[in-house]
Amino acid sequence: MLEVRNLHKVYPNGTVALTDVSFRVDDGEFLVVIGLSGSGKSTLLRCLNRLIEPSQGQILWDGVDVTAASGAELRRIRRHIGMVFQQFNLVKRSSVLTNVLAGRLGFANPWLSLLGVWPPSDRAMALRALERVGIRDKAEARADALSGGQQQRVGIARALMQEPKLILADEPVASLDPVLSHSILQYLEQLNKEEKITVICSLHFLDLVHRYATRVIALKDGKVVFTGLPQEIDKARFKAIYGEDAVEVRAGMTA
Amino acid sequence: MDTLPALASLLLPGLGQFLSGRRGRGLSVFGVLALMLALVWWATAPAAGFAETTIAFKGDPNLWWWLIAPALVWAWNVWDAARPGGAPGWLPLLVAGGMFAIFGWQTAEISPSTLLQNGDRVMLIIRPMLQPDFLQVRAEEREGWVELLVPCPAEAPAAPSNTSDGIALELSAGCAAVGQELTVTGAGLRPDTAAEFIWQSPIGDFFPLRDPADPQQFRLVQPEADGSLQAAFSVPNAIPPGIDPNLPQEQRLYVRQSRPLGGWELSTNGRFVLQGIYETLSVALMSTALGTLLAIPISFLAARNLMGANPVTLAIYVAMRTLLNIVRSIESLIIAIIFVVIVGLGPFAGMLAVTVHTVAALAKLFSELIEGIDPGPIEAMRAVGGDWLQIIRYGVVPQIVPPFTAFTIYRLEINVRASTIVGLVGGGGIGFFLIQWINLSDFRAVSASFIAILVIVIFMDQFSAQIRKRLQ
Repeated sequence: MLEVRNLHKVYPNGTVALTDVSFRVDDGEFLVVIGLSGSGKSTLLRCLNRLIEPSQGQILWDGVDVTAASGAELRRIRRHIGMVFQQFNLVKRSSVLTNVLAGRLGFANPWLSLLGVWPPSDRAMALRALERVGIRDKAEARADALSGGQQQRVGIARALMQEPKLILADEPVASLDPVLSHSILQYLEQLNKEEKITVICSLHFLDLVHRYATRVIALKDGKVVFTGLPQEIDKARFKAIYGEDAVEVRAGMTA
Repeated sequence: MDTLPALASLLLPGLGQFLSGRRGRGLSVFGVLALMLALVWWATAPAAGFAETTIAFKGDPNLWWWLIAPALVWAWNVWDAARPGGAPGWLPLLVAGGMFAIFGWQTAEISPSTLLQNGDRVMLIIRPMLQPDFLQVRAEEREGWVELLVPCPAEAPAAPSNTSDGIALELSAGCAAVGQELTVTGAGLRPDTAAEFIWQSPIGDFFPLRDPADPQQFRLVQPEADGSLQAAFSVPNAIPPGIDPNLPQEQRLYVRQSRPLGGWELSTNGRFVLQGIYETLSVALMSTALGTLLAIPISFLAARNLMGANPVTLAIYVAMRTLLNIVRSIESLIIAIIFVVIVGLGPFAGMLAVTVHTVAALAKLFSELIEGIDPGPIEAMRAVGGDWLQIIRYGVVPQIVPPFTAFTIYRLEINVRASTIVGLVGGGGIGFFLIQWINLSDFRAVSASFIAILVIVIFMDQFSAQIRKRLQ
């Protein structure tokens, strides 16, 4: 269980990104964070594993205070939290396999990993992860030789290497064609359902939210303006989250 | 029609434009006119501080007509100020540009006829260059010599004789005046090969004696069947300029036999060419290696994304960037001259000069690569729980190593060329030999070194292109 209490984030340049954000995520949930660009979704997700340092507030994960952890302890926490990024964040020049193996860094022998030496068990695990996302045949290809959808699947395989209890997905499909969005989100859904991995995912398109989310929180200007089930987002709430002028656009191709 | 600005511009060019808000135009008009007038004054005023100018019409006070161009521009400037929309700008540019072009032509001493008149000089260079002095026919050489005094001292020495390399030589007299006829008698020569006569001057210069019957040919004497030889020759004028011609000095006659053995070997200059190329490549390699090693840490200090965080590091960044820009703008040829003064002639000076330039150029390129790296993988490595070293190893290194290597290889290619050039000012290598051969007008050796340089440059070019293609 993840609990966020009164989280605040003010950037050094004075931008207020999050104001008094509190919510709870139970194990096994597929929580979707929605909101306009700049509403604080990315900041919130990065605060959860402290890629961004929160200014104030507390994050408790299974009773461990993430906000108080430092150094080695923080790295131990992070290695159980998988993260999937909008821009995939792969090393483009490296092979797919190397990119996936890097997901294991938190568990690996530090010196061997610096030499680029990985135990056979990790390699086998990486191939299994690639198998799972359907691109095992691409293991030796360079990451930038893959299409966007395939690169994001490498990103998911990398997260799988962490055997995560929680996956943070920051706009995982915003850089992809709508057609590919479902394929990526279905992998996340599968992990959520089969492996009981909690997923916290930020998304743009409301139809995707309806299709995948078990629960939704909405951010506006860094504040939580809605928490509830996806079907509770009616016209009035939609306007409240996205502003008066907003018109709903669909990703389409509901699977 | 704006009278006031027109009047202002009549008094001071550009003032009218400036006052009516067209400041840039006003300043440009003033600047161009000031430059034109200064040039006319410089060229026509006698002894105005530029006494040694090369301009052909320098100092002729009758050349007042040079003022026509500035006058035209001045008039245009009044028109421009008076006309609300301004006058066409290309008019004064054409006049001023034309004037500058004529002055430039004179100052650069451009003279196409000179270029075309000296065809014979071209041939003087081209002909030897068509026979590069790199390989020579393998030959067995023997030479004997005998020494005499030119001119004769008060007390004439005895007729000299000497045996060396198995060739015994004897002269009819131990001294002679320039132009006097002497007889040389030899024994122990190979009967099947003609002998060359070569004279050595008092300062050690060698030159072949010419055939008295045909001065276009060198003197060749065929020995008898028993290996003996007898020939008359006149003593050549080998007294170097600046030396008292009445002072008796030792000079030598060499008799040389050269027998071809078949096949080819490196000539003396060919050996120098190889040595020079080897030295140049070593200079290039060492300066690239050392330069890269130094450039890597400096590049991190000159990368804004790493140094921009706080004022202290930002100051280091600015200082580094400024220093790199200054050093990079100095030709390695100039740096080489400085190092030749410090460490003396030789490849070490050249290596230091090329290294300095390499550090400055590579550090800038490297720092730009570091500034351009994708922060995404770094973020991802932090997210999976990597420590600092792992983040660098998996998030940064794969992004920068291939382009760093590519730039280093490219730099090696540049340094091979730079290392030849620094040799010209004493930085060792093939350039050092080359400049001496140019000064000695030994164009056969120059040609050989040109070809050698061409070969290594083309090779490096291909090599670096191949490597860089693979690193992409």
